[in-house]
Order: sequence, then structure tokens, then C-alpha cells
Amino acid sequence: MAGPIIKTRALTKRFGAFTAVDALSIEVAAGSIFAFLGANGSGKSTTIRMLIGLIRPTAGAIEVDGVDVIRHPRRVRDRIGYMGQKVSLYEGLTLGENVEFYAGLYGLAGAELARRWGALRERFALAEAEGERPEDLPAGIRQRAGLAVSIMHRPRLLFLDEPTAGVDVRSRALFWELIQEEAEAGATIFVTTHFLEEADYCDRVCFIDAGRLIADAPPEELRRRYSGGYRVEVALPPSARAAAAALLGGEATPTEAGLALAGGPLDVPVLGALARLVAAHPEARVSIEQPAMTDVFRRVLAEAGAAR
Amino acid sequence: MSGRRLRTLVLREVRATLRDPFTMTILVTVPLVALVLFGFVLATDVKHLALGVHDASATAASRRLIADLGASGTFDPRPYATRGALEHALVAGTISVALVIPPDFDRDLNGGEPPQVQVIYDGGEAPLAGNAEAFVRSLLVRSGASLAPPAAAPGGVEVVTRALFNPRLEGKPFMVAGTFGFVLSFLTTIITAVSIVNERLTGTFDQLQVTPATSAEILLGKLLPLGAVFAFDVVVMMLVAGFVLGVWPQGNALLFVAVSSGYVFFSLALGLYFSATSGTAAEAVQKTVLFSIPLVQLSGFAFPTRNMPFVFRWLAEVFPATHYIRVSRAIYLRAAGPEALAWELAVLALSGVVFMALALRTIGART
Repeated sequence: MAGPIIKTRALTKRFGAFTAVDALSIEVAAGSIFAFLGANGSGKSTTIRMLIGLIRPTAGAIEVDGVDVIRHPRRVRDRIGYMGQKVSLYEGLTLGENVEFYAGLYGLAGAELARRWGALRERFALAEAEGERPEDLPAGIRQRAGLAVSIMHRPRLLFLDEPTAGVDVRSRALFWELIQEEAEAGATIFVTTHFLEEADYCDRVCFIDAGRLIADAPPEELRRRYSGGYRVEVALPPSARAAAAALLGGEATPTEAGLALAGGPLDVPVLGALARLVAAHPEARVSIEQPAMTDVFRRVLAEAGAAR
Repeated sequence: MSGRRLRTLVLREVRATLRDPFTMTILVTVPLVALVLFGFVLATDVKHLALGVHDASATAASRRLIADLGASGTFDPRPYATRGALEHALVAGTISVALVIPPDFDRDLNGGEPPQVQVIYDGGEAPLAGNAEAFVRSLLVRSGASLAPPAAAPGGVEVVTRALFNPRLEGKPFMVAGTFGFVLSFLTTIITAVSIVNERLTGTFDQLQVTPATSAEILLGKLLPLGAVFAFDVVVMMLVAGFVLGVWPQGNALLFVAVSSGYVFFSLALGLYFSATSGTAAEAVQKTVLFSIPLVQLSGFAFPTRNMPFVFRWLAEVFPATHYIRVSRAIYLRAAGPEALAWELAVLALSGVVFMALALRTIGART
């Protein structure tokens, strides 16, 4: 994996006596999707606004794509894309006119713009919305349009601040698919959200609480560290239970319906054992329960509170 | 500074302005309504004032004097048989100014003594009274001089004032020239007041700042289209003032348009500064309104600055509107050229530079 494309060191922002972001040190790997999770008011937006040079930190250092953005905020402008909490399309102008406007600011015009926007319009299903004004579009489409506009200039880095707030579940899923496509194409995505379950779309998750970093790991690792682990239940007739328990190893405990495997990770040995079990006992029904991110976060918060 | 980016920004502002019917209405109607209102209604013009006359002399000379006064169109003389009736009418408000011609008027006129006529006016209506008084005096002087036989001593009547420009003391040109200052100062700041703060609230301002557009481009992107609209307003106001109110600039019209366009540009920058430093649209509007109060009271638009107490006179000098109003009156009423206005123009240019710098700094500011 490539080196970090975003690096912060002891990043701090105070508004008067209130500390919004407190000595935050993070690294974001190039080409990854980095989720910045936290409750409302935990410092997510403040952090993202410092990273893109909209506000000046009280202390600490930021490096974005090799540029010290505190000293030279303008130098990364054509390499970054940004979509704020409020999708920043101009009301009163049609989507097409908005596209033309933002493209103009990035020096995109003519055939090149037609080609890029044509492809995005297709992929984001925006053809019908093009002649509409943003204020007349449903939230889901407006937000998709906002994303399309913010990646039109092909930024290496995409900053998304609560992009899925106020959007219905179906639009959110579609939106995440598009974000993942962008990451696959090589862009680095820095995304804040308070929908904890969206962490699973991401490569790495940071939890922030009251401006402090309280967890920073890939989602699976967070599950392993901060939850009771996966719970695997196998329903099968009593006659087959002993043999099945042997296949799963010593950890399996008997239940009313059959066997249960609780607290462990869902790794290759476990999945292999389950495959062998199902092959030997075709009547067995396996259900796997994933620990909810909400529970993981709750535990992270509790442990962080206890440590303080 | 990139030409393409600036063009892009200007085009968007133009589109947004053209599509906002409210803004367009304000930009077109406010200047015209203000002009007509101030020019017609508020002008401290002296026209067809009821002039009560008690002619105790009742001679050919006194009758000619009265006829002269009536001929100007300023006064409609009404005879009163007694002085008591005259004073009664003044108190009742049926007449605004009264004139008493003494019984020995004719004798004094021919006998070399300066004739004494008494002018009584309603001091309550101060601005009107002042104008009426000055005018009746100047008429009396002229008429009195022509009535006197050539043999009589020259300058037999006291000369108090003489109006060098606008001898008929018409209020319209004064008000019209002042209205430019009032309308342009007020409208530019109110139109731009919500501009940036609204973009902040809808998030487009952040978006704009993340693009390669520079603060100078963003500022000019807003100033150029609105500046053009206001320059157009200036020309329209000049034409309306000319055709409807009959007030044309005595001086160079092009100079006036040029100075006004520059002033509008700076004033817009000030409005953008108010906007950029406000958290909400309401706050920005309040700032504008607060700023507009001294605009009327101190700028000399309505009340002459020379009559103000020392401190306020200096305070008035701080307001660019004061200088702009002076310049517009100088060009409109006295046909002043650039050399006569050098000082005022320098002050305007300086305040322009300050406003532009302030606006530029707040637009690019990272909190």
C-alpha cells in the first residue's frame, strides 16, 4: 500500500474556550476510503474544514498530498474535491448550468467537459435532472449530482462531509456504490458520517468523540476488539450434533436448536469448519450474526470514558 | 487572476441576478422612485406660495412691486385690508409669507430714504421659510431698485444675499444631485448585504473557496455585474431627472457617470464586507440599515454639514457618501471640473481602496 496521502499531527482547533478538535493525529492511506465517525458536534466537520484549508487550526500540522495546507491552502485546490453537508449547488441555476459553472472554475470546457460530464451523467443517472434546478430535485438525486460535480475535475482526494445525511436508505446504498467506484479508480476518500453502519463501506474507521480520537482501525478489527464477536448458530437434528461439534472444535456450545459459536472472529478456519460441517450435514442451517457497529461504537465510547 | 475563472464567476452572478425578480425590481424601481419622490415631493422648492400683502401705501409704485412679486410664479399675492387681518391669516396658515408695505413707501422711494417693507413669515416651516424669505428679499431688492428714479441714490435698498447658481433657488437640482448619493450608497450596500452571507449559509461559499478561484476573482465576480447594473442605473436616473424633472447636469455628464461608477464599485465592496463579516442575513441587513442612518443625517443629503456641531462635521467627513454627494452637487449645480474636485475625488479613491482591501481580506479569511 502507498504511503499516507493525508497526515495530521496533534491537530487542534479551539473556538474560544471550547476545544472542537483536540490533538488529533491521523494518517490516511492513498486510495483508501477513510471514515470519520462521531456524534453530532464531535468535531468531524471542523476537522474536514481544516484539512481542506477552509479554517485555520489553533495548533498542529496538516499535510495533504505532500502540501502543508495550513501555509499553502491554495496549492491543493485542483487536486481535491469537496462536498459539504449542504450540497453546494447554486439554487436558481439548473444542474447543467451548475456543472458549467464549477467546470469553468477548474478550467474545464468544450469537448473535454462534454466527455467527462457525459460519462458522469450516465454513471450517476442524472440525465433527467440536468435541466432542473437543484431546489426542485429530491434529496437523493441532488446529493448524487453534488458528488458528480465535485469529482468532475478528477480530484486525487475527495472530502465528503456527511454526504448521506437526510437521504433515504436506497439512495444511500447507491451513493456508497459510487464512492467505492471512485476509490477503485484510485481516489482517496475522506468521509464523515454519523451513520455508524456506513463504516463497513470503508477501509479504515476513526471514531472521534468530543474532538478526541478514541479508535482508529479497519472495521473488522474494531469488531474484534470492541464486541463480543460474531455469533454463529447451527441448527441441526440432535443425532448429528456431536459429530458437528467435533468439526467446529472445542468452542462450540450446545443450544436448544443445535450448536452455537460465540465471541470469535469470522476468519478462515471458522469459515472452513462451517463449510465442512454443511458438506457433512446438508440438513444443517447456519446463521451468522454480525456485531452491530452501533454496539461496537458504544463499547469504544465506554472504554474511552473509563480510560479518561 | 484567471480570465476564464472570472468570466465564469461573472456569468453566474449575472444569471442569478437576472433570474431574481425581486432584486431586479429593486435595482430598477428604487432609484427612479427615490428620484421622483425627492425631486417632486421633498424638494424645498418655493412655488405658488400664498403671499399676504397689506398695502398701506396704495400707490402706483407699491402696486407695481406687488405685481412684480406675483409675476415670478413663486408667490400668489393676496391683498389684506388691515395688518390685523394679515397676521390672522398667517396664524391660521392660509398664507406662508406676509408683506407689509408702509404708508410712506412712495415718499421714501422718491425722497431718497431707503423704503422700508416688512416681511413676516412662518418660521415653523424652517427650510421653506428660509427659502421664501431669501427669495422675497431678492425680489424686493430687484423690484425696489427698478422702481427708484435714476436720480435716487444707487443701492437704496439693503442687499442681503444673492444666489450665484440656481438664482430661482429651485430645490429640485439640489435634491436630484443629492439623491444619487443617497440611492447609490443605500442600494449598493443593501443589495450586497445578503450576497456572501447567503452563499455561506447555503454552502456554496465554502465550495467556491475550495476551487482554484482566488479571493480577488470571487470579489470581482460579484462586483463587476452589480457595478454594471448600477452604472446603468446612474444613466437611467440622469435621463429621468432630465426628462421628467427637467434637471440636467450643468457640468460634464461623462465625468459624473465615471465618478458615480467608481463610487458604486467601492460602495458595493463595502456591502460585501458587511456581508462577509455577518453570521446571518438579518445581521448583515441590520448593519446596512445602521450604516444608512448617518447617510441621511450626516452626509449633507438632507441637512447641510456646515450647520453641524464640530464633532459631527468631522464625522460626516469620514463617510464617503458625504464626499460623493458634494461631488455630484458640484457637477450638477456648479459645473465643476475634475481639477476643482481633486480633493473630494482623492478622498473617494482612498476610501475605495480601503473598502476593497477590507472586502478582499474578509473573503479570503480563514477563521
